[in-house]
Amino acid sequence: MVSCCSVEKVPEEKKESLKVIALAGNPNVGKTTIFNALTGLRQHVGNWPGVTVEKKEGIMKYREKEFLVVDLPGTYSLTANSIDELIARNFILSGNADVVVDIVDASCLMRNLFLTMEIFEMGVKKVVIALNKIDIARKRGVRFDVKKMEKILGVPVIPTNAKEGAGVEELKRVIANMAEGKITTNPVIPVYEEPIEREIEHISSLLRGTPLEEMYNIRWLAIKLLTRDQEVIKLVLNYLGPGKMDEILKHISELEVHYKRSLDIVIANQKYEFIDKLMHQFVIHFGEVKETFSDQIDRVLTHPAYGILGLLGVFYVLFKFVFTIGTPMQEFLDNTFASFGEFVAGFIGNEAVRGLIVEGVIGGVGSVLSFFPLVFLLFIAMSVLEDSGYMARAAVVMERIMRKFGLPGKSFIPMVLAFGCNVPAIMATRTLEDERDRILTMLINPLVPCSARMVVITFLAGAFFSDHKALMAVSIYAISLFLALLSALILGKFVIKGEESPFVIELPEYSLPSWKVAVVHSWERSKEFLRKAGTIILLGSVAIWYLSNYPEPIGSGLSYAEKLGKVFEPFTMLMGLDWKAAVSLIFGIIAKENVIATYGIIYGIGESEEALISLMQSAMTGLQAFVLALVTTLYIPCIATIGAIRAEGGNKWALVASAYNLMLASAVGVLVYNIGLLLGF
Amino acid sequence: MLMYVRLTQMREGERGIVVDIHGGHRARQRLLGMGIAPGTKIVVVKSGRPGPYIIAIGNTRIALGQGVAEKIIVRREL
Repeated sequence: MVSCCSVEKVPEEKKESLKVIALAGNPNVGKTTIFNALTGLRQHVGNWPGVTVEKKEGIMKYREKEFLVVDLPGTYSLTANSIDELIARNFILSGNADVVVDIVDASCLMRNLFLTMEIFEMGVKKVVIALNKIDIARKRGVRFDVKKMEKILGVPVIPTNAKEGAGVEELKRVIANMAEGKITTNPVIPVYEEPIEREIEHISSLLRGTPLEEMYNIRWLAIKLLTRDQEVIKLVLNYLGPGKMDEILKHISELEVHYKRSLDIVIANQKYEFIDKLMHQFVIHFGEVKETFSDQIDRVLTHPAYGILGLLGVFYVLFKFVFTIGTPMQEFLDNTFASFGEFVAGFIGNEAVRGLIVEGVIGGVGSVLSFFPLVFLLFIAMSVLEDSGYMARAAVVMERIMRKFGLPGKSFIPMVLAFGCNVPAIMATRTLEDERDRILTMLINPLVPCSARMVVITFLAGAFFSDHKALMAVSIYAISLFLALLSALILGKFVIKGEESPFVIELPEYSLPSWKVAVVHSWERSKEFLRKAGTIILLGSVAIWYLSNYPEPIGSGLSYAEKLGKVFEPFTMLMGLDWKAAVSLIFGIIAKENVIATYGIIYGIGESEEALISLMQSAMTGLQAFVLALVTTLYIPCIATIGAIRAEGGNKWALVASAYNLMLASAVGVLVYNIGLLLGF
Repeated sequence: MLMYVRLTQMREGERGIVVDIHGGHRARQRLLGMGIAPGTKIVVVKSGRPGPYIIAIGNTRIALGQGVAEKIIVRREL
């Protein structure tokens, strides 16, 4: 867990010697664009250690010198209330950054300077302000005296328009000079009303002389204590002990009585007033707030009825884009690897080695790579949705509906994508801001039937319910979607701690997305997927290959897979499924469509669908087929989905998702089978 | 007409100044960071149950759910 005092060192490798530049700023200020402008295409996307928050790093080059640029999560403030804010705050506190670049949106300076003041209050000296979107601010009639702004804020201010590349060279120059100690700064520190200042001084006097003085800025700790920051309270308690802490808390309560409200409000209020006074010194003209065209569009796009129509339209296009282009590419890669496997097989004499390499390794790598197009296209689509500003509107529209199940509006997106494939769907959960929401959405995602499971469902529906095909398929879908939403409610209450995030979201102005940004990022993100999900998919394929070929190939009744099936049979019989179903379900973990193919292998009839249907019909009742379809839909996610959950959420949640789905499928399978028997099916 | 109202009671096009924020620590801190603090001037862009409410603060637009919007106390500017 990330805490206030855990100081992460900048990780790994060659980077040790490089000076570190951290980018901080509010969401939607063009931080990504600045990051790209500074680093070009030399970047790497990963996760912050132990959490599901994306971390971007890149190399900036200035006059033959290299610098490591770390993009901190976009945040409005640096409280302890969200994982994003804690990450940004801990990184700045750690002192690992040689320079902090604070990117502020010139068109809404007041709010942006709030974060700037928080950074200054932490005692960070080496700060450069990138005054971005200067063009938009000018268009709205806002005029600055930049020289004066620098003087008043006490740090360099570089006007930029990162989209066009304006000001970027100058920004690089100032960053490089500051990293090398050639620029001195004197950041302005907010001053509060006398009662607050007196208490800050009182707390500071208690903190002075403790080891905390060496590690943190005392004034910052004092201010955070006043706002009852839980992380800082814990930290200070360790050093001061409960006695003095109680005294501090008593003082805070007295002040709260004096102001008749919590001090976080009072301090924020006074900080904004302080910023307002500063701004009056360097803003020559403030511009007018007018209703914009964007506001008119928003009235429609966030409307409860029209908004949903718009959303459906957008998602239809998105779904088409990802799956119409991606699926043929996926099949092409699959086939290519299959032929490549056959080609390689011709050169290997030893049967065991051939099997391992062709089926295990090439098959495994092939199935990993075959997901690459889907994941890549999905990331492009997400990137375009985010950059255009539509994503925030989609979140607004779905908020009320999803919130009934304890999910935020945005979690609708991964749910829809899951009907195509759960792998890109789970990768899409990273667009959710809140860690709790992300994990919850990830856990219920496998319960939405993907297209591979649709294959199994429709096959069994056709074979056993020829008169009521659609009814059978729809009821499987209905049951699993119901369970997905029910799980969201239950897991959200009992398994994943943390309160629901209040619904407040900025609606950034609509803008044309940059294709270059979308492609570069999607490429990096997809590579990260390959790296993280790849290992588990590959290992899974090798394991299944081994089980099905030793000591005798499957179909002989002697393979480990079949033996394993018989071990599980007493258990699966509770839901009316014999060992053949158990084996098929084991193979279904590789890819769910294998459930049917495995029956073909066990019966030794290969790919003949008609023969398979008649054999299965004689071995199974309709009720058993229904249960098989249901269990196939619900049990352990396929290995690629597990890999995706692992890539996004880590081992723990991959395990939780697998275990939860398995338990759910067993319970539902047993229940449905026995109710079915009672009803006489 | 009432001078001090909840944000949810404001009509589209009305202007006001935030005077207080109720609610839990977390919701409050989120609002404060986003620039919704006592003293902030707002214009209501979209209003009406069951939300979302959209307000303009300077050039920023912020959408709020019904629950959060009820916690924001505003002084109407006539």
